[in-house]
Amino acid sequence: MFNKILIANRGEIALRIIRSCKELGIKTVAINSEADADSLHVTFADEAVCIGPPASKDSYLKIPALISAAQVTGADAIHPGYGFLAENASFSEICAESNIKFIGPSPQMIRSMGDKAFAKDTMRKNGVPVIPGSDGLIPDISEGKKIAEEIGYPVIIKASAGGGGKGMRIVWTDEEFEKAFQTAQTEAEASFGNPEVYLEKYIENPRHVEIQVLGDMFGNVYHYGERDCSVQRRHQKLIEESPSPALDIQLRNKMGEAAVLGAKSVNYEGAGTIEFLLDKNKNFYFMEMNTRIQVEHPVTEMVYDVDLIRQQIIVAAKRKVETKPQKPNGHSIEFRINAEDPSKNFRPSPGKITSLHFPGGFGVRIDSHIYQSYSIPPYYDSLIAKLIVWGKNREHAISRGIRALEEFTVEGIKTTIPFHLQVLQDSRFLSGNFDTSFLDKFEFKE
Amino acid sequence: MDLNLIKKLVRIVDTSGVTDLEIEENGLKVKIAKKIRNSQIITQPQFAPQSIVLPHTSSEKVEETVNSTGESAAVMHEIKSPIVGTFYRAPAPDADSYVQVGDDVAVGTVLCIVEAMKLMNEIESDVSGKIVKVLVENGKPVEYNQTLFLIQPS
Repeated sequence: MFNKILIANRGEIALRIIRSCKELGIKTVAINSEADADSLHVTFADEAVCIGPPASKDSYLKIPALISAAQVTGADAIHPGYGFLAENASFSEICAESNIKFIGPSPQMIRSMGDKAFAKDTMRKNGVPVIPGSDGLIPDISEGKKIAEEIGYPVIIKASAGGGGKGMRIVWTDEEFEKAFQTAQTEAEASFGNPEVYLEKYIENPRHVEIQVLGDMFGNVYHYGERDCSVQRRHQKLIEESPSPALDIQLRNKMGEAAVLGAKSVNYEGAGTIEFLLDKNKNFYFMEMNTRIQVEHPVTEMVYDVDLIRQQIIVAAKRKVETKPQKPNGHSIEFRINAEDPSKNFRPSPGKITSLHFPGGFGVRIDSHIYQSYSIPPYYDSLIAKLIVWGKNREHAISRGIRALEEFTVEGIKTTIPFHLQVLQDSRFLSGNFDTSFLDKFEFKE
Repeated sequence: MDLNLIKKLVRIVDTSGVTDLEIEENGLKVKIAKKIRNSQIITQPQFAPQSIVLPHTSSEKVEETVNSTGESAAVMHEIKSPIVGTFYRAPAPDADSYVQVGDDVAVGTVLCIVEAMKLMNEIESDVSGKIVKVLVENGKPVEYNQTLFLIQPS
């Protein structure tokens, strides 16, 4: 087992990782930029090293500073958390070269799953349903048009090196194809330095349903059910839940088995998530694989009684996955609390928290790094807390969520707590019958 | 011996960021030293895990007032580490230190090495002056912006 782990992250996830390390008796090293000197993860780690000025590129993204910090503190492993360098193949490689265990996948794994066209192709070859589309990159417009006709419009042109909605164009008719192809390529070149694109059937208003997997070096791969993350604003998830209201036992088994098949086909080790799109007819299609722990992992933990971070560490220490999946128990919902003003188009609201009260009680979990009189630095993302509730069923989880959100008090800054309370009164959300277009039609009332 | 002067000097050291003070006047030498507490300033409720926190130093200039008759104050210049790494006083284990307390340095004089990822980074002075204090022991780890030397600019 590792002696000491350096957590290459900040905020709530750094604290989350420190907690699992402590339970395993592993010493912890926090790293922080100058802006995070008063952060909670710094307080609770055994050691802390300041690695740079506030800007992420000079601190949390600065590989030499992170490796150096691990070396001077004698850390034998690094946990990258999520975001930052969690899916950076170079970082994984440099850790290996520096004899530090990267708690995540190998550089080859990150590269292959990060190449979206390649990942899709790998899954397809292994029998995982994928969105119908081009077999790899589209060489030119006429080839593209041919494939589009075969698949059937609407189609979406996507950048192979892309993400975040860039280098994408939805095409509804044959006439629009040429123009859309050219602009997608130009945008892809500008955003990622790579104009290569591929084609997919465009699935209107899908649900976003992802499967959590865990694999170890002995070839064991398990799935821990699904998370429905369809409540998204500009492709950013705001509310996630497990199980998904759209899945029954048969569909869960089918999707779970497909995810395990996909993960096994690449000999996946560690925690990973296979993202699927679910269409109106409950057909599911592989979208992409995330080779890291995800923000919304707690809802899976609540329903499947598994500490996913702990399992990541154990697997990285060359042991078998400890907790095999059981039947899901109850229903869990996570609300991402951001320091944003929902009445002003979710404008960021950094500043000092003058008064804070976390909700508590049965079935309420808070993953957060904030405290009373903490000043939220303006340099990083706006996530300040995750409120996770558990209930015997979805209705119970929702009513508990309302109770907890009403109790949750944050003063001095604006938060999205009022937004979540309004969503929990929306009839479409309550019915469980919604998709990724839900928030497009949702209006926040001041 | 002017007891009042000595009392005033003790108070100055006690209430300021100065940790060492030495003055000589009319054949009388007075040296006052204050123990540095390596504790991180925490603004939230106190918890007490066994913390080994690498020392933080403030980025403000350290002011050293010499005596109560109002003679000019000497403002120290801080040399800080630009990277995380290990601090070395000399280019090699058996070599002489780059600088000692009392040495005169110029802009560009190499003061020390901070080693990071097997690369030896030479840290140069950005002022000319005299080395007043070396704040880190040879071979100890340093973090970003940690103060390494105090130089009295000339």
